[in-house]
Amino acid sequence: MGRTGARTGGISARYFSSRIVIYGLLILWAIICLFPIYWTFTTSFKVAVNVTQGHLIPWVDFTPDWRGWRSIGLSPDTIGETSTPREEFLKRFENSIIASLCAAALAVVIGSCAAYGLSRFNYKFGPMRNKDISFFFLSQLILPPVVLAMPFLVLYKELALLDTRIGLILIYTLTVLPIVIWIMRDQFDTIPTELEQAALVDGCSAWSAFLRIILPIALPGMVAAFILSVILCWNEYFFAALLTSTSAKTLPVMVASQTGSQGINWWSMAALSTAAILPLIVIGIFLERYIVKGLTAGSVK
Amino acid sequence: MASVDLVDVRKAYGDHEVIHGVSISISDGQFVALVGPSGCGKSTLLRMIAGLEPITAGEIRIDSKVVNDLEPKDRDIAMVFQNYALYPHKNVADNMGFALQMRRVPKPQIAERVKRAAEILGLVPYLGRYPRQLSGGQRQRVAMGRAIVRDPKVFLFDEPLSNLDAKLRVQMRAEIKELHQRLKTTTVYVTHDQVEAMTMADKIVVLHDGVVEQIGSPLELYDRPANLFVAGFIGSPAMNMIQGIIRPGATPTFEAEDGTQLPLSGAPSNSDGRKAIYGFRPEHLTLGGPVKTEIAVIEPTGSETQVVARLAGQKIVGVFRERISARPGEMLAVAPNLSSVHLFDATSGQRLQ
Ligand SMILES: Nc1ncnc2c1ncn2[C@@H]1O[C@H](COP(=O)(O)OP(=O)(O)O)[C@@H](O)[C@H]1O
Ligand SMILES: [Mg+2]
Repeated sequence: MGRTGARTGGISARYFSSRIVIYGLLILWAIICLFPIYWTFTTSFKVAVNVTQGHLIPWVDFTPDWRGWRSIGLSPDTIGETSTPREEFLKRFENSIIASLCAAALAVVIGSCAAYGLSRFNYKFGPMRNKDISFFFLSQLILPPVVLAMPFLVLYKELALLDTRIGLILIYTLTVLPIVIWIMRDQFDTIPTELEQAALVDGCSAWSAFLRIILPIALPGMVAAFILSVILCWNEYFFAALLTSTSAKTLPVMVASQTGSQGINWWSMAALSTAAILPLIVIGIFLERYIVKGLTAGSVK
Repeated sequence: MASVDLVDVRKAYGDHEVIHGVSISISDGQFVALVGPSGCGKSTLLRMIAGLEPITAGEIRIDSKVVNDLEPKDRDIAMVFQNYALYPHKNVADNMGFALQMRRVPKPQIAERVKRAAEILGLVPYLGRYPRQLSGGQRQRVAMGRAIVRDPKVFLFDEPLSNLDAKLRVQMRAEIKELHQRLKTTTVYVTHDQVEAMTMADKIVVLHDGVVEQIGSPLELYDRPANLFVAGFIGSPAMNMIQGIIRPGATPTFEAEDGTQLPLSGAPSNSDGRKAIYGFRPEHLTLGGPVKTEIAVIEPTGSETQVVARLAGQKIVGVFRERISARPGEMLAVAPNLSSVHLFDATSGQRLQ
């Protein structure tokens, strides 16, 4: 018994120590990743002194205060009353949500059609073949948005799209389209063409084969592309700052505008940021597995 | 049920022609196998019949009606694909019923027909499962079920058994044949496996590089191959072939390149000194005779003995009912069955009368 006991003891000790090291590293990494969120969240309960002195732990370092949340009308004592900052915040929030969701939906619809075409039909566009066309789409990501600033400003002014949600939706659709096409083309490429052919023989037209057979199979990929697009649009700052002013302004722009002339309102900025990242945290926790599932190829065996 | 006629059908991808004028006529209820080596254009031809591939030239008729410009859905054909192509997001019943659903058949009737097909194929316990929950053989059956619920004019099979293991393949072979005898639906069956073609088909079309080499019943192809390609492709072990020259005369003989004399029952007219190929099947050798061969390998299987031997500087195979006690290196005297010797022209490869 002694020998075997010693041996299993040795193995389990080694096993546990390796586990401890692994988990220790993972916890450390989690802390590093989560710290900015923690800092943002706690800062929304701080006053100026706490921020400048770098107080970190509530009730130990500093006493939490509702100041930040009160400034956007979301603290317990202001929530019942009418508040202009809150209305402003809700309007920005609504703009962000509408712009992200609509742009992502539009991009997924258009992008899926483009990707299906690229995956299934052979195009000739001058000297360009399917591969070149795909790369052309993707290469749009290389172009820095700054280059587009002036042209779009002029274009939107002419089209009366400045400071409109429609304008924002259109430009966001355009910016996420390359990624959506890329993801969806990958999805469609993993689906054997025999499936459409079987559908054609079974009585479908080309469109109904796409809608009834291929789309349902590519759905996980579409969901992933949609979520990814929502996140990208939600975070977008440059075009929102450039093309909107009062009515269509989004949350990131509002957060950035908290740097007033009397210095930075850390607490209200933190409260705004917390509210702005909340939807993303929800997506991260609840929808992450759809992204993973959709982006790992092999949805069809 | 219907007849299918291909008239000088051609297919080119760009400038590259892969089907060079194929004409086949298939009568109502026939089981026709399209057989040939991989890449010879079998699938392309089948897909042209299905309407999945446009036809470059020629005419395809189903039930005497030209279908060149009809969509696949309007041709009333059913196709079974090599990888089955089951819809992964639909269960077995919905996979089988999809075509009926597309044709707006009332729901109760769909259920009824799916059930009947499932009974024929032994799929009743699996109707609620998804394709990924089925074994290869079961998927194969679902693919067939999807074809038979429709009761189409023509069944098209594209190497349906090539993804199954050997044992299952033999079993499904018999099942498909039985199904055909029961339903009597005109069938075009593509395979690269000549054994499958021989055992299943009423009529075999041998295809090679986009050209029809021969059309005939399995035994016609076996007994009178029209050319060297068919002779070598049909039959296993393959036909023995020896190059040489025909020497007609009082006793016509065939002289192999090294001078070995092989017997002939008669020589075709004007064939003196003609370069030719002398072909005989392994089982058309009898023990004892004028031809001396040197044994290389002996493989007794119990029921028969397979011998690999050297003749005229070339390896030949013989299959004998007798048991042979000789050892490798010894000489074995054999005689080809004169009535079963095939002569082919050495340059054109065509059969000589
Ligand atoms: N879409 C295509 N484009 C170009 N060539 C093709 C295409 N499909 C098939 N081919 C060519 O046509 C020939 C016949 O192919 P296929 O009918 O699939 O052969 P099989 O089914 O007999 O193995 C092959 O040489 C193949 O390379
Ligand atoms: Mg093929």
